[in-house]
Amino acid sequence: MNSQNLEKTLQEQISQLPKEMTPERELWSGIEKAIQHKNQQNASVKSHRPSIPMAWAASVIAAVLLTWGVITPQQPQLQAPISLVLAMQQDFEQQKQTMLVSFGQPKISALPVDMQKQLAELLSARQAIEKALVDDPNSSDLLNILRWTQKQELDLIKQLYSPQWQTI
Amino acid sequence: MDKSKVIDAQKLFVADTEQEWIARAKQGDQQAFHCLYENYHRRIYALCWRMLADKESAEDVCQEVFVQLWQKIENFRGESKFSTWLHSVATNIVLGHLRKHKNWLQRVFSIEDQTIQDIPVEMVDSTELSALDKQIARLPERARCVFVLFAVEGYRHEEIANMLGMAVGSSKSQYHRAKGLLQQWVTL
Repeated sequence: MNSQNLEKTLQEQISQLPKEMTPERELWSGIEKAIQHKNQQNASVKSHRPSIPMAWAASVIAAVLLTWGVITPQQPQLQAPISLVLAMQQDFEQQKQTMLVSFGQPKISALPVDMQKQLAELLSARQAIEKALVDDPNSSDLLNILRWTQKQELDLIKQLYSPQWQTI
Repeated sequence: MDKSKVIDAQKLFVADTEQEWIARAKQGDQQAFHCLYENYHRRIYALCWRMLADKESAEDVCQEVFVQLWQKIENFRGESKFSTWLHSVATNIVLGHLRKHKNWLQRVFSIEDQTIQDIPVEMVDSTELSALDKQIARLPERARCVFVLFAVEGYRHEEIANMLGMAVGSSKSQYHRAKGLLQQWVTL
């Protein structure tokens, strides 16, 4: 077949592509549930609006205290990066735990295999970075990658468990 | 009776009804929103399926589109057709999904997807799919997205480049790459 014919055949096939496809799964009930959940969330945000500045203030104070702790170490200067790594690890573990508790301590083993694989990949990456930081605690690149990896893990957990409509 | 007049009247009726559904959905009427869903979800699912080449992800993202539509519908001011606006909302959500689900290794090291999906065409799951849809699913991700947006959805390369964060030239070359592969597979 020459190139003009190929082009023509492809154009014909494109013009014949169906505009619609029908999903196998029934999607509306999940959407409806999510919409109702969002509506409830919006209503509760409106009714609890005064508490939001308090939560923000608490976060700012926590951040200031944490920064204060990091920039005024009681240990010798050389050990500071190790303390920072430890603080990052503790903070991350705490955030992860809080998040898992808020999602009702879900079982990771109940997730689809590819999701479990992604979580395992992130975990092994984080462990490798932490190991590398023991040898080179001053590396700002490693610290940045560690922070990024922790964030990815938290984002993934949040993504896996918070959108309830996706599991329907 | 003049057939074209009947068709015009039908179109007007559908457009009026749709405007009413939109207005009611903006005010929080879920029943009207369900009518919009019934009218559009198959088209949005087709877009999701073609861009993602995966049934389950397409179903999840299609749901996500309508959940976000519920929250964003008040932003629709009627400056374009509702279907055009909805498709652009859906396209952005699909692209956001692709960005989010990129393997972490690809994100850290900015690995480009160079490989063709190594799924034999007979393995692409649904028998209802057209032959071309089955081939589109085998294209590498970037080439597939550009091809679907340009050839199927009718976006311009400038718009695609903007949406995908690439140069206009890259969008054109990804399109030619996709076209070349599809033509190659057609001859097999």
